[in-house]
Amino acid sequence: MSEQIIMKRKIEAMKFAAWELHLFLDSHPSNMEAYRKLKEYEDNIKKLMMEYEKKYGKLFPTSKDSSRYEWISSPWPWETEEMTHVDL
Amino acid sequence: MWIYEKRLQYPVNINRPNPKLAKLIISQYGGPHGEIGASLRYLSQRYSMPYPELAAILTDVGTEELAHLEMVGSIIYQLTKNLTQKDIKEQGFDAYFIDHTTGVYPVAASGAPFNADMFAVTGDAIADLNEDLAAEQKARLSYDNILRFCDDPDVKDPIRFLREREIVHYQRFGEGLRLLTDKLDSKNFYAFNPSFDKPKK
Repeated sequence: MSEQIIMKRKIEAMKFAAWELHLFLDSHPSNMEAYRKLKEYEDNIKKLMMEYEKKYGKLFPTSKDSSRYEWISSPWPWETEEMTHVDL
Repeated sequence: MWIYEKRLQYPVNINRPNPKLAKLIISQYGGPHGEIGASLRYLSQRYSMPYPELAAILTDVGTEELAHLEMVGSIIYQLTKNLTQKDIKEQGFDAYFIDHTTGVYPVAASGAPFNADMFAVTGDAIADLNEDLAAEQKARLSYDNILRFCDDPDVKDPIRFLREREIVHYQRFGEGLRLLTDKLDSKNFYAFNPSFDKPKK
């Protein structure tokens, strides 16, 4: 696994953890510990994404910051990583 | 409104085609306990929820089910890539192939196409949340059954992730139901929602 994929996986794992806390807070809206943890993970995601994008370019092509062409031409998620990461 | 992120919630990287297995797993795409039914169930039920926490749980879980639908679709897509005519015939994929080629269509493993009869929206929060708890268990047992027929670790890995999510969602719905019954009149120990039956003044 390339360093780039490892870094991407790390960001995705962090995003998953943040989502899990968000879902937990739906039924525990006054749980401050979960809220603090969520903020901590969100900060980590921001930091990791900046680090990733400095090295490898945009992580997720959004219509806001990238050209329409990138949105279309970047690999679609159902393609396997072997195919997806060949030319990045 | 929704915003799409161009990624899977959990990675799916399958390199060995297996149309026989795809025919079983497709049930979680369009079958009775599948992800599209789950998502439509929760996203449709949320309008009649009496408390904001319940609307939040249904919105978020319904949204996550769409991400699971995409994962199951990716599994089907990758399991049916680069098939030969021999694979299609010998692995029993021919009946599906006649109608859909290798497109991903929402059907049950039995071949019945997706139908909204597979879930209910009753407008009663207690009835709906009890259905949701059952739905998460049914999806969990479907993934358990799929795992019995899986020997490819690349398929097992994302299926295990999906199975675990059913358990977490069951937990959140259980908390939602408890939150709701806690707010009922304490004399109402049979737990039903009498608010609709009160005469309007």
